[in-house]
Amino acid sequence: MKRRAAIALVLLALAAPAVRAQERHGRPWQELTPEEQWRAWENYQRYQQLPEQRQKNLERRYQQFRDMPPQERQRLRQNYDTYRGLPPRQRQEFIDKYHRWKGRR
Amino acid sequence: MRCQRARKWMTAAVDGELSPRRRRALDGHLAACAACRRELAVTERMLTALEGLPMEAAVSARLEQATLRRVRLAAADEGERAPASRWTRWLPLPAFALATAAVLVLAIGIVRRTGGVPGAPAVRAPRVDARGVAQAPPSLLRPPRRFAKLPAEPPAKLAEAPDLFVDMSIIRNLDKLTHFEAIQTTTLDDEPATPDGLEPPSNG
Repeated sequence: MKRRAAIALVLLALAAPAVRAQERHGRPWQELTPEEQWRAWENYQRYQQLPEQRQKNLERRYQQFRDMPPQERQRLRQNYDTYRGLPPRQRQEFIDKYHRWKGRR
Repeated sequence: MRCQRARKWMTAAVDGELSPRRRRALDGHLAACAACRRELAVTERMLTALEGLPMEAAVSARLEQATLRRVRLAAADEGERAPASRWTRWLPLPAFALATAAVLVLAIGIVRRTGGVPGAPAVRAPRVDARGVAQAPPSLLRPPRRFAKLPAEPPAKLAEAPDLFVDMSIIRNLDKLTHFEAIQTTTLDDEPATPDGLEPPSNG
């Protein structure tokens, strides 16, 4: 009995870093769908063109995003779909509102 | 502030990545400089338009194969001929171009007559917004992945945090999307309104 418990503890200790890494970095590459792998690859190429400071900003925001509860991440995805679906004029209006809102924060 | 610095900060301002202090300095400059205001408006329009642009047009597999086959045939045909003079060395280039152009003209003719390429998924007519600007359907926003290849092994950075790159568009706009509802209720003339009357939380 003690031996089983010891084995379970060792396995848990070995698995914990992997679980933490997944919480921090999301899914491993192999778990992405082909469509997601393509999107990631294309965005990675864009990311490489960015100045270092903007790369760091993105990584910082990504950690903020990862730290959000799943429902909050889902809300942001829905908001993004809404934003992408806005006609150009409304999207421009939204950006203007965003600057106004941010300027007064 | 000089115009040169203001213009340097504009892209970051449009992306919402300028610190509040810099944003205030930029706003102060913009209030006094009509040229920079125009420049900012152009930058905003350009970035918005870029986000909505289709990457490439979709090409059916059949058309792609037919074009490549004809180009290969033309190349083989030209390769068999010994160059008789300096002039004939340049022949393969127009031959390639002609073969490609012929296939494209043929394909366009088929599309116009039948409304689609045989064997290819139907492509809907693009939506047109209020300004008469055509908007690409979602299928056209996808890049033609047949022409490119994924690396066998992703680079270390990509392998380390693939979701960063999958969700990069969301992460770029994190601030906008987090406060989406509050921003939408902001009016451009008056004080911004927040749904619960609270000051919107900082996003860092």
